[in-house]
This record gives sequence, structure tokens and C-alpha cells, in this order.
Amino acid sequence: MLRLSPLSSMKSLPLPPQVQIDAGGPRFWKSLEEWSQSPDFLPYLHREFPEYASAWDNGMSRRRFLKLMAASFALAGLTSCSRQPQEKIVPYVRRPEEIIPGKPLYYATTFSHRGYGKGVLVRTEMGRPTKIEGNPDHPASLGATDVFMQASILGLYDPDRSQTIRQGNDISTRDAFTQFVGARIEAHEQDQGAGLFLLTGKTTSPTLADQLQRLHERFPKLSWCSYEPAAPVRAQSILGHDAEPVYDLSKADIIVSLDADFLLDGPANLVLTKAFSKKRRDPAADFNRLYVIESAPSITGAKADVRWRRKPSEVITFTQQLAAAIAQGVAGDSPEIRQLANDLQQHRGRGVIIAGDYQPEVVHALAFQLNQTLGNIGSTVTYQEAQQTPIPTTSLPDFVTALKRRAASTLLIAGANPIYDLSPAWGFSNAMARVTHSIHLGLYDDETGSRCHWHVPGSHYLEAWGDILAIDGTPSLLQPVIEPLYPDAVSLVEVISLLVDLPPKKGYEIVREFWQRSLAADVPAAWELSLNKGVVAGLSPQALSPTPVVSVRDAPPEDLPNSSDLEILFRPDTAVDDGRFANNAWLQELPRPLTKLTWDNVAMISLATAKSMGVTTGDVVRLEAAGQSVDAPVWIQPGHADGCVSVTLGYGRSQLGEVANGVGFNAGLLRSSVAAWSQALTRAQATGARLELASTQHHFSMEGRDLIQIETLADYKTDPSQAQENQPNPPPEENLYPPFAYKDYAWAMSIDLNTCVGCNACVVACQSENNIPVVGKDQVFKGREMHWIRIDRYFEGEPEDPAMHFQPVTCMQCEDAPCEVVCPVGATVHTSEGLNDMVYNRCVGTRYCSNNCPYKVRRFNFLEYSDATHPTLALQKNPDVTVRSRGVMEKCTYCVQRIESARIDAQKEMRPIRDGEIVTACQAACPADAIVFGNINDPASRVSRLKALPRNYGLLADLNTHPRTTYLAKVTNPPTAI
Amino acid sequence: MDSTASETAPILPPDLTDDSITERITGIVVKRKMGYGWIGGFAIAFALLMMFNYAIAVLFTYGVGIWGIQVPVAWGFAIVNFVWWVGIGHAGTFISAVLYLCHQEWRTSINRFTESMTLFAVACAGLFPILHLGRPWLFFYLMPYPNTMELWPQFRSPLVWDVFAVTTYAIVSVIFYFVGLLPDLATLRDRSPHRWQRIIYGILALGWRGAGRQWSRYKMAYLIMAGLATPLVVSVHSIVSLDFAVGIVPGWHTTIMPFYFVAAALESGFAMGLILIIPVRHFYGLKDIITGRHLANMAKLLLATSLVVGHGYFTDTFMSWYSADPYDKFITADKFTGSYAFGGWMLMILDVGVVQLIWIRAVRQSPIALFFIAILANVGLWLDHFILVVQSLHSDYLPSEWRMFYGTKWDWMTLFGSFGLFLTLFFVFIRIFPMVAMSEMRGLVHKKPGETKEAGA
Repeated sequence: MLRLSPLSSMKSLPLPPQVQIDAGGPRFWKSLEEWSQSPDFLPYLHREFPEYASAWDNGMSRRRFLKLMAASFALAGLTSCSRQPQEKIVPYVRRPEEIIPGKPLYYATTFSHRGYGKGVLVRTEMGRPTKIEGNPDHPASLGATDVFMQASILGLYDPDRSQTIRQGNDISTRDAFTQFVGARIEAHEQDQGAGLFLLTGKTTSPTLADQLQRLHERFPKLSWCSYEPAAPVRAQSILGHDAEPVYDLSKADIIVSLDADFLLDGPANLVLTKAFSKKRRDPAADFNRLYVIESAPSITGAKADVRWRRKPSEVITFTQQLAAAIAQGVAGDSPEIRQLANDLQQHRGRGVIIAGDYQPEVVHALAFQLNQTLGNIGSTVTYQEAQQTPIPTTSLPDFVTALKRRAASTLLIAGANPIYDLSPAWGFSNAMARVTHSIHLGLYDDETGSRCHWHVPGSHYLEAWGDILAIDGTPSLLQPVIEPLYPDAVSLVEVISLLVDLPPKKGYEIVREFWQRSLAADVPAAWELSLNKGVVAGLSPQALSPTPVVSVRDAPPEDLPNSSDLEILFRPDTAVDDGRFANNAWLQELPRPLTKLTWDNVAMISLATAKSMGVTTGDVVRLEAAGQSVDAPVWIQPGHADGCVSVTLGYGRSQLGEVANGVGFNAGLLRSSVAAWSQALTRAQATGARLELASTQHHFSMEGRDLIQIETLADYKTDPSQAQENQPNPPPEENLYPPFAYKDYAWAMSIDLNTCVGCNACVVACQSENNIPVVGKDQVFKGREMHWIRIDRYFEGEPEDPAMHFQPVTCMQCEDAPCEVVCPVGATVHTSEGLNDMVYNRCVGTRYCSNNCPYKVRRFNFLEYSDATHPTLALQKNPDVTVRSRGVMEKCTYCVQRIESARIDAQKEMRPIRDGEIVTACQAACPADAIVFGNINDPASRVSRLKALPRNYGLLADLNTHPRTTYLAKVTNPPTAI
Repeated sequence: MDSTASETAPILPPDLTDDSITERITGIVVKRKMGYGWIGGFAIAFALLMMFNYAIAVLFTYGVGIWGIQVPVAWGFAIVNFVWWVGIGHAGTFISAVLYLCHQEWRTSINRFTESMTLFAVACAGLFPILHLGRPWLFFYLMPYPNTMELWPQFRSPLVWDVFAVTTYAIVSVIFYFVGLLPDLATLRDRSPHRWQRIIYGILALGWRGAGRQWSRYKMAYLIMAGLATPLVVSVHSIVSLDFAVGIVPGWHTTIMPFYFVAAALESGFAMGLILIIPVRHFYGLKDIITGRHLANMAKLLLATSLVVGHGYFTDTFMSWYSADPYDKFITADKFTGSYAFGGWMLMILDVGVVQLIWIRAVRQSPIALFFIAILANVGLWLDHFILVVQSLHSDYLPSEWRMFYGTKWDWMTLFGSFGLFLTLFFVFIRIFPMVAMSEMRGLVHKKPGETKEAGA
């Protein structure tokens, strides 16, 4: 059911050396008979006791049968005595420092994604990493995580990771590879590296930069190209620098997103979400307003107070009109522009215009100009110098051309997958075929790897030493939390070390030596502190104040497609990114925020476009652009701009692993370059085929039920408790059973719908914490996904352009729980602290509890979903949470294992559990701090205070279930005159 | 013959005697050769039974995920089949016990049939709750058995009440059936040509000699058993209905459930009775014992219960509107206009609409027409339970978790396979037990026409 490979996909193991005496080598012999290959001897070679073996060939007589049976029984009895090892073994007398069995340890390290780092704390249980949390000390994490960080732990244990060094079709060794590299160094010392080609993904590692500089000194003519299939666009040619804009949303009252999905995507997403949600927490205090102009709905668009859908070319014209309106005071006839310009003018210095990472340069330049005119630069936006490349780089087209021209060469590809990323028009495959020695370093022996002469398994970031910069330039270290699962795995710095160091060094030495030189005074202490905190202390970037070197008006005009043309826009996928996470089953099965689609990518279009094309959701269309075509299933998405098709990258893998292969289509084939984010679509034609798409939510409307309470800021200010008044009155309560008394603690949760951005981090965090299985596309299609927390997404208003709302739904832990009464075996019971506990051992699987749960948060193991066939996946499991078998109901427990762990700590110290001591997995992951957990018996606790707010309401409270999880109503802040 | 039979004619034709009844009924069991008809019918039934076994084997190997159930529709065919089969069982008990207590003597010709039907239907029904479990090997957790952990079932759950209700019903039905069989088993023992038959029937007859004291005790025991079985007719399906009524699912949570469930159960039972009796009396030449009048009476009961069911539909729909409960109103409207509207209308047409043809005398007197009406009514009642279970669950409180249910081939194989179990048991029954209660028939023959109560319906 799980689309994961069995371990049999492991390459055939190297034979033990004694067997490898074949014709070629010297002939060894043990006796003269063997040497002579005499006919008498041959049977001895093949059978252990040849003279007895023939005696058994006679048919079985009754007597012999009885003799054998008697002997078997007698001997069987012997085996029942347990065999002790003969060698002397020594028990654990003094435990290793810091390790207490059953107690997890947390280590700080850094998750790197598209070249930037986000700090994480890795929970290890007796040496095995099991869970990722955010590192509060790291400036790009601030304690929060996103889905990629959360799911990266599964990537470590992915059974499809490559496990051995491969040369050609044979398994090779580390020594052979080192020797080979040595030979190549010699060759390239002759040509000064002119035939040495290095292709990597974007990296900001200071150690690697240092290594590259040394490499460049040794091989001055080497070519290095670094590219990302999902690299952000910057206003480089206009600003004259590769300057990174840094936004400070805590100062921004008006935020304008020009197709920027800043809440979900990019290296600063967590920081921006935190700052954004902070200004949405208390409607009575300051409250920001978000304008979003976008083509395909994003979670940022869903959070917008005003959202305008525009196709990609119209986003550019919109920006130009807005810039004109602000610069010259020309409002134009567009009421939208007038409205927005007016609002921005009124909030000079307190607004911010954010150009989307995937917008063309002109939009970035205009955004810069707008921010400058409005006085936002220095207040809500600052610019900083992006990290300089340590050595000259070659652009990707030049790199490919050079590769094609050069006959004898060495190509090292690390952290890049050009065969998959680039469309065949690039001819990269041909170029590679001409390379005499190609080496691939990567986690998977993927599309590119399989075309290389050598493949070296890359180490996962949790297995390797390294360093990386955060988006704001703060460096942080990577430390391994586990020995590489596969001994052959090496990191990029270790491979580069083969080229620059003699003798080659281990990762630790390389990184440590670099920082020895770079760190301030007391190196051992600073090193330890940096490892401990996960951030290199005392190093922070400098702000820039860029002035445009070219006037924005002189910027080269974008050649916009005709307004009637169909356009296509590309985005990294919200779950598998540019394809690097495509083999991660958690991410594949993660319902995408707005479509709630799993296990596929789609060609997303609006209702009107679908009508004009005569297609509907699930119809396969052939998309043609840039001379290529792909077949893609259509998905009609409310809120999508008309006249354009949006597709996501990262799918259509052919050689990654059993999870990824054959899922979706490769939209990247249609891109004219790796920086092309939107372009004209030549043709889109229905093929007549259909594809079943597995979505977890089929019904989009709230059917007029008050599930998400929404009010405008103006209404809230006149009547703050509107949310509660809107609730239908529950019928008077009569109960056959006496109420529960909660003496010590009463656990409860508050979820703020106003700050929740629907980013899904909680969903993956919960999956990781609670050993939640993956079920596969066919099971999701049948409606059997297992997520304990789901984010319901509703549309409100016209189907063409609706408002969008998110509502995370977990078990409500009702005080009068409908599930508890109907379980015939008492497998779901109420605790003295108000939890609805599941007793997995007792559950027989009548599923009545699920039927009777009005929130439908219970999940059932319809089949054996827990994967017991892959030994590495077992290592990821949280030892404090039962792995459920088939036929058992399961659901959110409020992370009861974390409650109990806090209780043990508190009891040891003879004190009550403190407020905030228990942090549930979803709460810990949430970048918006929308989830708060605590004890409502303590009126001073954070959750009690939140529940006392007028915005507090219970979902379906009219059923008298008394949910312990309650919501804070959503408040929107539309401008008054729209 | 049947088409001309008058509904006011006596129950039995006057030419029947003690001997002829005994001879004919026992002859079917002990003398008649296995005909091709029986072998063919049995082969089909047995093939279905084997399909059932296969579906169950696959189910136990992989889990209930082979069915179409999901969240929110976590109950599917297994529960629908259970409710339907339990319902079918009811008519047998009603005919044997309630009509006995009401001195409806015409029941004598058919009570053995319907009681057998009850047993076999309960056997089918009893399997489904176990097949339905996620971990069927732990089904005994639902039983109150003493254990070292002092764990008991959770008595607030209607599923536990169900266990008691259905087990009680099964036990009482078996005993009642067996007690009723005793004199007939003794007759078979005495009339069997083979020694092995005499031994087996002899053991089963528990030493019945037909002595006056035995008859007197027997009559009393039978009366008591009938008295015990009568409340079960009402209690079992009422309690089964509580599986739904106790839940807070809109569409389930109504007080009309017990009343309406019992009516639906009786209707499906009478229909199933007709489905079985009509072919058997034709192929075994029992038209003078089970006359047109019997069929007409059964048909009238079917009609009456269908009207009660129809009343249930009306009240349910009216109350959901009158309650002003938005969720209940939605689910009721959805039943007739939503994705399951075809089933919603169809079930009413089949189990109420079509049955109204019985008002017509010609229809009432045509066994073929009755046969097909009964089949349609039973399909309708299965649909009724399907809509109740599935349609109510598929869109309850949170629209985000609304989802359509689709049965898989395993669902259908389990349903049709259970017919195999039922029919196999029935084919075996007509070969080993007298299909008409001879002792009671003989009593009826001795009564003069004037003494025989007119059977009303």
C-alpha cells in the first residue's frame, strides 16, 4: 500500500573477497586434490559430507520416519535452552554521559534549503534522530518549522537513498573513488583545471566557499556553475548589486504582495509569518492589512484582506500602474489602483510592497521604487548584500556550451539534477555523454546520477558536518546527529576536500579548521557555543542602502504576451518543492493548502478558463510551450486568475525512488529557462483522457454553518463578542451521567484562526511526532488519509473569486464526548484531566466512535498502514507513541506523551506542571503561534486567557459536546471604501 | 388453481387426513430422491457460499479496507446487511409466536418455513457484526466474560445491547424451533426406511413417544416459548435501531427509529417468507397444504407493514422539518435531492409503492406477482438500510469531511455470498426436516370446518 520500495532495491552486495578468485587472478588451492581437480575431490568441493549424503537417497521407510521424528523431538527440546554468548560481555555500569535511556536529547543543527539555512533542533532517542523542532535561537527559524524541515527527518531514513558508491554498473569502494579522484587531479593539474567542471546547487556555506577558493587557486581555469531550479529573481541589473530585500513586517501596517507567497515559500517564510501574525493577534491593538495581487491562489492570498487575481502579465501592468499612481499622483480609472495607492499614501513608511520571488526583474525594480517613494526603505524594508560568490561563476547556458565543446573533461555534479530540471532543448544529456569522467554526488542515484560514470551517495544533512548562512546572513553550523546510515555517504565538503587537501580530511576537520580561522578569540568555547546554540555567535550581516544604477524607467521592457494569449506560470510545489522532496511520502501525502490535493501535481485553471477550454477537473490536457509538451490533469481552482494555467515543479520523476517515480508530470519541461516563471502557453488541448485525483476535501462550502466565525475589524470594534453571539444556542443540557471533576489539570487548546496561515507545518509535525502512517494515493482517494490534524479549507462567496479560510481541526477532546458513550469495549475513555484517550490494545474496530464524532477527526487503520517492511523507517518512530496495527482507531491525543514527560519532570521536582511547559507537536511547529495549549484549571494560563477573549468560540458548540479545543474568530481588515 | 382459490375458503382442503399429511411431508425427507432441481439449486447456493468464504478469507487477511468504507462513512455494507438479515428473521418469530398466541391457525402450514427462515437469517446476520470489526479476532471483547483485568464491555454503548439482543434472539429462536420440531422428529424416526436415519432422528427426538403426558407438557412448553419469543419480535430490532438512534448523526438521531425498524423488519420478513414459500410449494406440490389463502394472508401482512413503514417515512421527514434542526433538515433534503436521491426515491417506490398493488385482489391471488413484489420490497428495504447508514453518514456536521461512499466488489461479494449461506442452509433444511409442522397440521385436520377460526388479516 505504501509506495515505498522494499530493501531489495539495494544494489547487489559486494561478494566476500575469498569468492572473488576467478580465472583472472592467481589460483589458490588448499590441497593437491583440489589443485588437480580430481574427480574424487569434486564432490567434496560441493557437498559437505558426500559419503553420507547418498545414504539418504533411499525412500523413507516407516522405521526411519519414526527414528527421525524421535530424534527431531529430542533435539527440538535442546534448543529451548537459551544460548548465551561464549564471550564475556560487560553490562552498562556507568552510563555514557548525557544519555538517559528513554529521555530524548536535542541537538542544534541547520536545515539547508535552496542554499539558505533554517536552524533546527533534532530530537534523538538513544542515538536515533526522530523529530525536528525549530531552533528559537536561529534567526530564520525563531523556533518554528515549515513542512520541509519537519519532513526532512523522513528523508534521512528514506529506503530509496543510494547506499553505495557506484562506478558504471558496478559497486565500488571509497578507496577506488579516492584513487580515481587522485588520477583526475593529476590530469587537471596539466590543464590548470580547464577540463574540470563543477555543477552545484546554490550554497552559502562559508567553509565550502573557502574550499572553492582553494580549488580555484589550484585549478584557475575550472568552471563552476551553481543554479537552483527555483531561484528567486532579484532586481540585480537595476540595483547594481545582488541585494536581498529584508522585510520587517512588524513595522508594516499595509502589506502589498505582488504575487509573493511570502508566508509559505522562501528562506524567510518563518520570520515573515511570525511577524505577520503578530500584527493579527490582537484586533484591539494594531492590525495590519494585506493586499495580494496574484495569479494562482496561495496561502498568502488566502490570508489577504483584499485579493485581486491577475494573470502573470497583468501583475506586471498592475505594478506599473501602481508605480505611476504613486509617483505622479495619477490615479487612473482603476478603482483598485486608486484604493491601494490611497491606502499606501496614508501609511507612508508603514507600508511595504513585496515583489514575489518569481516575478520578473521589472516588478522587483518597481517594488523598490515604490518602497523608496513611500519612504518604506529603512523602516519596513532594508537591503543587504547577498553573499558574494567566492570564485567566478559560469552561467548555466555558458556552462553547457563549454561542456559540449570540451572533449576530455571531469564533471562533478553535486546537489543538482540538471537532467530532470532542464528541458531536452538544453541538450544537457548530450553534453554529459561527451564528458569523459562524470561524478554525481547526491542522496539519490537519480536521473542525473544514473547518467554519470560515478555515483557517490551524499550524506543527509543530519549525518554531516557543515555550515550555512541564514537569509539574513547569520552563519550557523551543521553537526551530525547520527553516523551516516550508509558508510559510503559523504558530504560535498568532503568530496571537495579530496580535490584540495592532501591527505583528504573528514568533514569535522574541514569545518572545524575553517572556523578555527574565522572565529573570534576563544575558539574552543566559541565553537562549542556555536554548536550548542546552532548559530555562530557574534556574526551578523550589514545592511545596504542601494541606489539604483539604472533608472527603473530605463529598465529593459518585458515582452509581455498578448492579453488574449493563454499564459502558463510555474511555481515550486508546496509539498515537494522543485522535486528534491519528491520521494518523501509525508510530503507527497500532505494535502496542498488550497487544493487539498495529494500525490499529484495539476494544471490549475480558473472556472472561466475551464469553460472556455471545455474541460473539467481530472481531464488530462496536453500543454505545449517552449517547444515541449506534457500531459497534465486539469484542476479547477476557485480564485485562480483567468487566462492562465499554473503548474508546479518537482513531479514526473523517473528515477528517484518508489514514492516519487511516476507521480505527476514534469512541468519543468515547459520552461524556456531555469529562471522562467511565466511564459506564453502555445497550446492547451484536452486529450480525452482522465486522471483520478486524490483530494482530501471535496466540499468547499460551509453550507451556511457557523464553522468559521469571520468578522471585519470594524464590526469587531463595535461588538467584540460577535463570534459568540453568532453561535446557535445549544439546547438545554440534561445528562444521565454525573459530570467529570477535573481536580488537578484540565488540558485545553486554543487555535487562533486569525493568525493561522494554513501552512501545513502542524500536519507534518504531528505525523512525525505520532508515528502516523502514509497510506498512498489509492487510499487517500478512498478517503482514508490518517492525519490527526487537518486543515479544513473553505471558500466563501462567488466560485470565481471567493474568500478563502483555513481551520485546523484536531480532536476537540470534548468534555461530553459522543465517541466515548458508543464504544462497546471502552477503548476510548475520559481521563481525569479531560482527555479522550484511545486504548489501542482494547480497540476492536467497530468504528462507531468515528461515525458519532461530529468533527470526524478519528482515523481508522482500514488496512495495515504502518510500514514494518523497511528497517530504516522503523528508526524514525517515536518510541513514546504506539505504532498502530490494522483494525484500530486512532486520533489526536493532545500529544499525551509530552504531557506525561512534563508530568514526570514536574513530579521529580515536586511542583505542578508550569504553564507553557507542555508544547504539543503542532504548537511547536506553528510559525504563526496560532496554537496554544495549557491548563484551563489555571485561570492565569495563556490558554485560559485566550479562552476568555470575546473572539473565543467552540466548533459545533450547539451540539453540547463542550469541546476543549476552541477557536478564536477570524477578523479581516478590508479597507472601508472598497 | 391458485388464481381461483377464494379467500374465504377453508384453510385446508377437506380431503386431507392425518395419514396423507404425514405421508406427504415425511416422504419429502425420507423417501424422495434428490431431484435435479434440488441439486441445481443447491449447487448455485453452495457456489455463492464458497464465494462468501473467499470474500471472508480475503477480508481476514487484509482487513476491512478491502471494502468501500472510509471516514466519514465508516459503516457500510456489513452493517446494512446485518440490519437487513436481522429484520428478515423477525417475520418467522412473528408468525410462529405472535400468531400462535392469537390463535391464527392458518399459520400452521407455514410456521416451520418461516421459523427456519428466521434461524438462517439470524445466522447470516450474526456473522456480519464480526466481519465488520477491524480486529474480528477480538470480538469476544464485546461479551461480558470474567477476566483477570476486570474489564467489561462498556454498557452505555448500543453495540453491547445489540450483542445481548441478538444472542438472546438467536438462542430463543433455536430452542423454540427445536421444541416445535420434537413430535415431527419422532414421526421421521418412525417412518425412516434406513437404520442410520432412525438413529439420528431418534437421538434428536429426545425419546418422544407421543404419550398423553408428553403432549400435555409439550403444549405447555410450546406456549411458554411462544410467550418468551413474542417480546423478542419487538425488542431485537428496537435495540438494533438504537445503534442509530443513540448516535448524534443527523438522520439517525430520532425517536421514531425503534418503531419504524420493527415495521421494516416485519415487512422484509413477510416478503422473504413469500419469496421462499412460493417456489417451494410449487416444486414440492404442497399447494393444497399451503393454499392461496395462506399467500393472501401473508400478502396482507406485507401490505400492512409496508403502510407502517410508509408512515415512518412520512413522520421522519415531517419531524426533521418540524425540528428546525439545520443538520437534520439538510440530511433529509439531501436524501431526496442529493447524490443519493436515486436510492432515496427508489427505496420508497419499492418497499412502499410497489407493495400497494396487493390491494388488488388479482395481484393478491397471483403467486407470481406476489413473488416479484416480495423481491422488490426486500430490495427496497435493503436500500432503505443502505440510505439510512450511508447517506446519513456521508454528509454530517463538517462539510470539509463530506465524502461519497462506493461499495467495492468485496462488498457485493459479501452481500451475495450471504445469500449463499442462507440458501444453502435452506436447501439442506428441506432435505432433512419436515417443512410443514405435521403434528400441528394433524390437529388442524381433526377440527371440523365450523370449528376452524376464520383467519383474518
